[in-house]
Amino acid sequence: MTKEKIRMTKDFPKPTDKRMRPACHADAHRLVRFGQFSVLFLLVTFSASADSPRATLPPEQRTNGSQTLASLSSLEPLTLPCSARIESILGRAICTATIVGTDGYILTKASEVPELEKVRARLADGRTASLREVHRDVKIDLVLAQAVGITGLKAVSFDPSKGLTLGQWLCSTGDTGREPRLGIVSARRRKIPGAGAALGIRMDDKASKVARGVRIIGIASESPAEAAGLREGDVLIKIAGKVVDQFRRVHELVNTRQPGEVIEVHYLRKNKEETCRVRLASRTKVLQNWEGEDFANGGISLRSDNFPEVLQHDIPLYPTDMGGPVATLEGRVVGINIARADRVTTFALPTEAFWTETQKHIQADRHPPKAVPVE
Amino acid sequence: MPLLCPPFLSRAATILVAMQAIAAAAPSSSGEAGSKTDLAALLRVQADVQKLLPRVRPALVAIHAGGGTASGVIISPDGLLLTAAHVPGAPGKEMRVIFEDGSVTTAKSLGLDKTTDAALAQLKKRTKPWPYVSLSREIIKAQPGEWCFALGHPGGFDKARGPVLRVGKIIKQTANSLHTDCVLMGGDSGGPLFNFSGEVIGIHSQIWEGRDQNVHVSMAPFLRSWDEMQKSRVIKVWGIGAGGYLGVATVMNDALELEVVDVLESSPAKKAGVQAGDVILSVNGEAMTDQQQFSATVRARAAGDVLKIGLRNGSKDRELSVKLAQKPLEE
Repeated sequence: MTKEKIRMTKDFPKPTDKRMRPACHADAHRLVRFGQFSVLFLLVTFSASADSPRATLPPEQRTNGSQTLASLSSLEPLTLPCSARIESILGRAICTATIVGTDGYILTKASEVPELEKVRARLADGRTASLREVHRDVKIDLVLAQAVGITGLKAVSFDPSKGLTLGQWLCSTGDTGREPRLGIVSARRRKIPGAGAALGIRMDDKASKVARGVRIIGIASESPAEAAGLREGDVLIKIAGKVVDQFRRVHELVNTRQPGEVIEVHYLRKNKEETCRVRLASRTKVLQNWEGEDFANGGISLRSDNFPEVLQHDIPLYPTDMGGPVATLEGRVVGINIARADRVTTFALPTEAFWTETQKHIQADRHPPKAVPVE
Repeated sequence: MPLLCPPFLSRAATILVAMQAIAAAAPSSSGEAGSKTDLAALLRVQADVQKLLPRVRPALVAIHAGGGTASGVIISPDGLLLTAAHVPGAPGKEMRVIFEDGSVTTAKSLGLDKTTDAALAQLKKRTKPWPYVSLSREIIKAQPGEWCFALGHPGGFDKARGPVLRVGKIIKQTANSLHTDCVLMGGDSGGPLFNFSGEVIGIHSQIWEGRDQNVHVSMAPFLRSWDEMQKSRVIKVWGIGAGGYLGVATVMNDALELEVVDVLESSPAKKAGVQAGDVILSVNGEAMTDQQQFSATVRARAAGDVLKIGLRNGSKDRELSVKLAQKPLEE
């Protein structure tokens, strides 16, 4: 009697949603699967006054509060100095990098930085550097780069991740490598299947009358399409240089690509041809966020699926923290954060998924084959 | 049945009184549980959780009900199941229940408490006992700063992933709920929160946007309304069987005062002359500052007790004597 409640059941997407009609085609036909698995939750707005007399645990004493994190101080040298913030030229945080070579080699999340020349690394000591791409591995979404002209860094040495158990503490870096964070191994180590890439548009299944093309009849909130400026009513005519006259063709062209990839889209708006570049996201992300509901309360990584093997943990991180190192409280660095998937889930690539290869690429880059002198 | 517990109905008032006492003493006592953790202490937490997991995990289930997915926990060998009231939504609902290994059975919802989000369900009978966990009867022990852990199926059942564990601390205890920093999301609803004895202390219910804002139904409404819920009743009025009943609805008004917005017909409050628009100042001389404190204060008294309630209407203060009654079953 004493509470005013606003209840709502979260379903994504709502079964009554027009998108569920077979007549129109979202560029995400797995909608039905999600419809079946709508998820129950209750959101409540309290009218109670903020200052309840009941004891509330002060923020600093909580699991990720400063006092609890202070107990990790002996482990900080493993993670914090070995992290770097990847930011835009204007200083906006993009993601985090793990330093893997004293001479500037770093690993970070590939799909967050499709064009390394447009970002820079800000190191723990405050120095900044531009990045040179060494090797990009789309399969595991990791890019090896070198911070140009930087030496004297502290590098991570990755340890085997085998033997991690459910409930084992892990620590990592938050705030783009600047603060420690604590959590646990929260679910089974496993493969995360890919659901492909998506633009986040709903398309008319009838051929456009205006021109040969596919009319957009809906744009998902915070989707790649929205970010690129596409609007309802626009008619797609060319995607990645290929003519599109059927929604199926758009599917084919988009779905075979990886989240994070940038494609060029030609479209008609008010009979005028326009062009934009769209950075694709995981279909999973687009679907989860179709209604603009932030299921992670802080955002989901652009690419959050299609990994051969991941560790799952509950460290409270943001998409900009991906690329940072993950260590056990025994001081073993066991992986690198690769995707923020939802409010309770972060995926990390275990050492075994990348470390041997990475070391080979660093070696090869440090010692390129000598040019044969011309006699 | 080990959990039929009439004694608890009579003990409920005691529990609430004790809770208030603790709340008042909390600033001095909370330092103990929440004081500096060191690495060794964290590793002990890890060891405890990992020791309890194999025992408690089999009692966790995923629930499919009404087109949504949620979680639940079995608390008796004959298959009584705790979940959140918004999962079945009503008594008598058939639900699909899935175990970690993917095996499936059904359950039927019994009663539920819509005011606190507590619900009871019964698994299909079978000869073999169901895996189960105990629930904590020491509600007041779940204090801010205590470590706890949550299990559930966030986002729905996923066999490859299995159940998802979260370890965290209790942030707050209210009359009917616990707040923790075990981060929850959709699909966790109805899943269990455990203490470090492996007993259920909460059922996942609500979230706010902040990652430290995760709300679980405490065991209080379950223990208080156990008989009613087993009889498949729907509780729409806060806390049947939990002490004295006054019959007013309150809000915190813009001036952050506790204001009466409704006085129920033929309730003790109505008989005593409480009116909508009255601001509640005190009960038996104790100043009232919020709704939970007020509810707890009233509920801590038995039916038949007389309370002196200080009220203000406009600029006029007055005091009324109200004889508390038994709460009607439904209204």
